[in-house]
Formats: sequence, C-alpha cells, structure tokens
Amino acid sequence: MISSLGTRLLVSVGVLLLVFFGVTIVVLEVAFRGAAEEYQQDLLDSQLMALLAAAEPGDDGLVMPPDLPEPRFGTPRSGLYAELRDADKQPVWRSRSAIGMRLPRVAAGEPGRQRIARLTLEDGTPVMTVTLAVNWEFADGDLRAYTFHVTESLDSLNAQIAAFRRQLLGWFAAVAVAMLIAMSFLVRRVLRPLRQIETETSAIEAGERETLSADWPTELRGAARNMNLLIGSERGRAERYRQTLDNLAHSLKTPLAAMRAVLGEQQAGDADGRLGAQIDRMDDIVRYQLRKPAQLIGGSGLGLPPVAIRDELGRLADGLAKVYRDKAPDIVIDVAADAEFRGDRGDFLEVAGNLMDNACKWCRKRVEVRVSASEKAGRRGIELTVADDGAGVPAEFAEQLLERGTRLDESAPGHGIGLAVVREIAANYGGRIESGRAEPGGAEFRVWLYAPGG
Amino acid sequence: MRLLLIEDDDTLRDSLAAQLAEAGFGVEQAADGREGLYFALEYPVDLAIVDLGLPELPGLELIRRVRGEGKSYPILILTARDRWQDKVDGLEAGADDYVVKPFHFEEISARVNALLRRSGGWASSVLKAGPVTLDTTRQELKVNDEPVELTSYEYRIIEHLILRAGEVISKTELTDRLYDQDFERDSNVIEVFIGRLRKKMDPDNSIKPIETLRGRGYRFALERSQSG
Repeated sequence: MISSLGTRLLVSVGVLLLVFFGVTIVVLEVAFRGAAEEYQQDLLDSQLMALLAAAEPGDDGLVMPPDLPEPRFGTPRSGLYAELRDADKQPVWRSRSAIGMRLPRVAAGEPGRQRIARLTLEDGTPVMTVTLAVNWEFADGDLRAYTFHVTESLDSLNAQIAAFRRQLLGWFAAVAVAMLIAMSFLVRRVLRPLRQIETETSAIEAGERETLSADWPTELRGAARNMNLLIGSERGRAERYRQTLDNLAHSLKTPLAAMRAVLGEQQAGDADGRLGAQIDRMDDIVRYQLRKPAQLIGGSGLGLPPVAIRDELGRLADGLAKVYRDKAPDIVIDVAADAEFRGDRGDFLEVAGNLMDNACKWCRKRVEVRVSASEKAGRRGIELTVADDGAGVPAEFAEQLLERGTRLDESAPGHGIGLAVVREIAANYGGRIESGRAEPGGAEFRVWLYAPGG
Repeated sequence: MRLLLIEDDDTLRDSLAAQLAEAGFGVEQAADGREGLYFALEYPVDLAIVDLGLPELPGLELIRRVRGEGKSYPILILTARDRWQDKVDGLEAGADDYVVKPFHFEEISARVNALLRRSGGWASSVLKAGPVTLDTTRQELKVNDEPVELTSYEYRIIEHLILRAGEVISKTELTDRLYDQDFERDSNVIEVFIGRLRKKMDPDNSIKPIETLRGRGYRFALERSQSG
C-alpha cells in the first residue's frame, strides 16, 4: 500500500487516464479506418465506372483504349490495376500498370452487382478489389458476359491510418502528461489542509502550538474540532488532577492547622508531644504525596511550550527577596541563551523554588542560580545549579539526603520535604540531583531536567 | 499593635486569635473575604494575616484590592497551597511573607514580629539605638553591652517603643499591647512600667531613652543606629 494520499491519487488518476485514452484511441482508429475504407470503395467504384465508360464494343468483343484518363493505370506497379475478363474468365485486357503481375481475384457475382474483396498480392501487399460482372449488349444484339476487376493497393491507406494513430498517440501522450502535471499541482493544493493538519499536529506535540488553527475546509472542520477538544481535555487532565490534589491537600491542611493551634493553646493536653508528632507526620505525608510532579499525575504526552526560565527565576528571586528581606541575599541569575526546558511550569517552579529557598536560608549573602543547556539521549533539557555561600552540607548528610529511595520519614531535617520533592520531579523528567560544595564555600545543588518524550 | 486575622475555619481562627491576643496583639477577626476586605480598608491595621482560600472573595484578590487602595501595612499569607506557583502568586499580589498550613504558632509569631519590625523601619532583628540594643529574636535588652533583666510585660512595652522609635505612642496603644481585651484596664499601670523601665535602663539618668509627652503618650527618643 502506498502511504502518501497524494501519490495514491496520482497513480489512480494515471491508470484511469491510460484506460480512458487507450479505449479512445481504439475507438477513434476503428472509426477512422471505417471511414477511410468507405472512401476507398467509393474511389474504386468510380474507377470501375470510368472503365465501363471507356470500354468500346469492337468487332471481336470489347476493346479498351490504350490510354485511360486515370494516369495510374498507365504506370507500371502504380498500385492501381484493372483487368477485363470474358465469359471464360480469360483476361481480355489488362491495364499497363499490371503488366507482369498476377492479380488475385474473386469470382464474379450476378451481373450488375459489385463484389468487394480484400486480398493480397503475391508479394503480400494488401489490396482491395472491386469486381463487376456485366452482360454487354453488342450492336448485333449479341449479349456477352464480361467481368471488370479494379484492384488498388491498401498500402497508402494503411500508411494514412498508421500516421493517424501516431498522431493520436502523440497528442494523447502530451495531454496525459499535461493532465498528470496539472493533477499533481491540484492534489497538492487540495491536500494542503491535510498537510497543514500534520504540521500543526507535530507543532502541538512539540509544544510550539496550543491547538489547531480555526480555518479548515468543510470536510475537515469536524475532525479539527474534535482534535482540539481531545487536545484540550488532554491538556486539562494534568491540571484537573492537580486541582483535585490541591483541593484535597487544602481541605486536609486547614483542619491540621486547627488541631495544631488548639494543641498549642492547651499545652497540657499534649504534654509529651505525641499528638503534635502525629500531626507533623500527617502534614509531611500530605505535603509529599499530594505534590506529585505533573507528569506523574497524568502527563498527557503532548508537548509543552518551553518554560520562560529567566522570567520564572526572576519571579522566584523577587518573591524570596521579600521573604528574606532582613538577610537581603544577592541572588545572581545566569541563564544560558540556548537553555530550553519544555515541561510543566509548576514542576520547574517547584524545583527552582525549593533549591533557591534553601540557598537563601543557608547562605551568608550570596545565592547563585545558573542554567545551562543539557542533552540526554536526544532529549533537550537543562542543568540547573543553585549555589550559596553558607556553611555547606556535610558530605555524609548530603549522601543521605540524595540517596535513592530515601523514604519520606527518613528525609533529612532542615532540607526536608523540599529536596525529596525536587528529587522526585527530577527523576520524572529523566534527570537527577547532585549535591556538592560550591567554590569558594557553601552548598551547591545541581539538577538535570529533560523534556518528556523524544 | 492591631492585627487583622482573615480565616474562614472557625476553630483555627479562634485558636489563633486567642494565642495572638495572649502574645499581646489586638486582634480583629474576619471569617470571609468580603468582611475581611471591609476591615482591611476601614479599620486601623498594623498587619493582616490572610488565608488564601477564602469564601466570598479569594485571598489573592483581597490582597490585590488592599494594595490597590494604597494600604502598605505588611500582609502575611496563610496557605494550604504550598506550591511555589501559589507562593509566588501571593507575593506578587502584594503579600510580604507566607506561612504554610499546618504551622506552629511560634512560626506565625516570629513572622508577625519580623514583619512588624520591618514595617517599623528596622532591617535587622537586632535593633540598635545609641547605647541600647534590643535583640527581638532572643528578646534581650542590653544597655552599653550590659544585659537588662526585664519582665515579659516590660519587654513588650520597650519592644513596642523601640520598634516605633521616633513615633509618639499613646497610652491606650501600650495598654492594648499589654492586655487582652477582657482584662481590666488601668492607665496608671503604664506609668508604673515606664518608670521601672527608665530605672532599669538608665539608673543614673544619663541617656534618657523614653520621653514623656504630656497628654499624648511616650516616645523612644534615642537616634536609631541603623535603619532599613
């Protein structure tokens, strides 16, 4: 099966053209041949009449004049021959053109009736013969039977037909080629909306477009609309899941906050802090479990537009500057021009926000955020580095912090849930997180994130 | 200091308001966004604590309108939505800090104190004015590097005065700072506390930290050594 609709259409049209033109050529040729042969018969008929007119009754039967009006009878092998035979079928006269030839003939029919036949000469030349038997009445009242034969070579007729056929083929071939070229343009034009759907769909997959554009031919409108609906519901899915989870988190956390507040009021009721610890646990579970990466809670596989990295980091920095106003850390942001991350904006904010928040918390004065391009197995992504000038993270602590599969309740205090969330998001985007020491001192976290899919 | 607490969960609001009052703040409560907005615009407020998930009017919208009306007092967000997306949205709307639910009361009071200190023009948690140093985190007062022992009522009064150094603070305001609404009020108590503070901080009457303005109130008179 040919995969391209355009090629399919062209091949079908080509076959149709071939059949149509083939049949047309045959029909035209048959008609042309019929007309030509009829004309040929008429010609022979009039030659025969001319012979009859030229024949003179002599003393000893019919006599033909030496020169006939038709010059071709006088030229040997001219292609037009005549013969006169008597009742005994013996040739009485023969045109000069037929000298030395044996002319094929058919038996004469009833007197006064022509017979037409197609025969071949000894050398194979096809001929047409008209035979007419007459009963010639002489002056003495004698009736004698004669047969007139006129034979003409069909070579020129066949040549004409062949020329006609050649011409026909030539023209039809030219027309067919022209039509195919026109068709291929037409097909391209007609199929352009399909091609456009294809480009737009891949643009959507790549995250460069939100939906299909609006202006489609009637036949495609339904399909385009349904596709947009599908894309919309796919896109909305992650957001709806997240909304649901957020609402759930929200409705759990306010009661937790109330419980803690009430406990705080009545210290005596929770003297050994057991209830408080349980509330902490529940809080951690809610925060961790209900804040899954967008991919995990129903990523659609449809591409996402690139995250405006510089803008989002700027917003975070502005927000953190407010929160850490007393410390007023210098937050330096450096984003490489070619750094591009096509992923969920919320996930990116979560990763960068948690790391930058930690850095602001532990830094003395300076926080550096660097983003550069990274690539893994054909997937484009980014390397995000957040470094501070604080005391740094002790090596064994860092190890424990980033250990794969660290369970929630083992996660390190201070950095806590934040880093666990970052690690999970990074893993979901095919990346990872590493910790190290910044130069000249302080903690440095590096996270790799790659666009989902290819 | 007058706080406005806008939170729709009754248990949480009541409990939080009680603890804030106990810590010496005057607390106005609102249970939904519309009421909250009214209080926020019409009442004298030093700081607002706003829950984001409010009925009637969402917290973010409330903050935007309050800022739109030119109110510049600090706003602390209480939120159950702890995504950075939400935090950034809140801070961009005009809030100054956020606390994620469920929180410990100490977190709230620390943030509230820090925000009030900042809105008083102090950039650091250690306030210095001439020989006087007040560490608001440790709640320690030093004069000429010598620690001064204070009762918690005395501390509240000197903290309030130093936070608003240079401003005239009325007796009523100081009384509010000391007592919950239910307590019996006696303005003479303030005079007694001021007298004790003067004696503890300035035994030989050389630095004169607290100025009395007859009929108007008190003012912390020393020049700030650092400001925000």
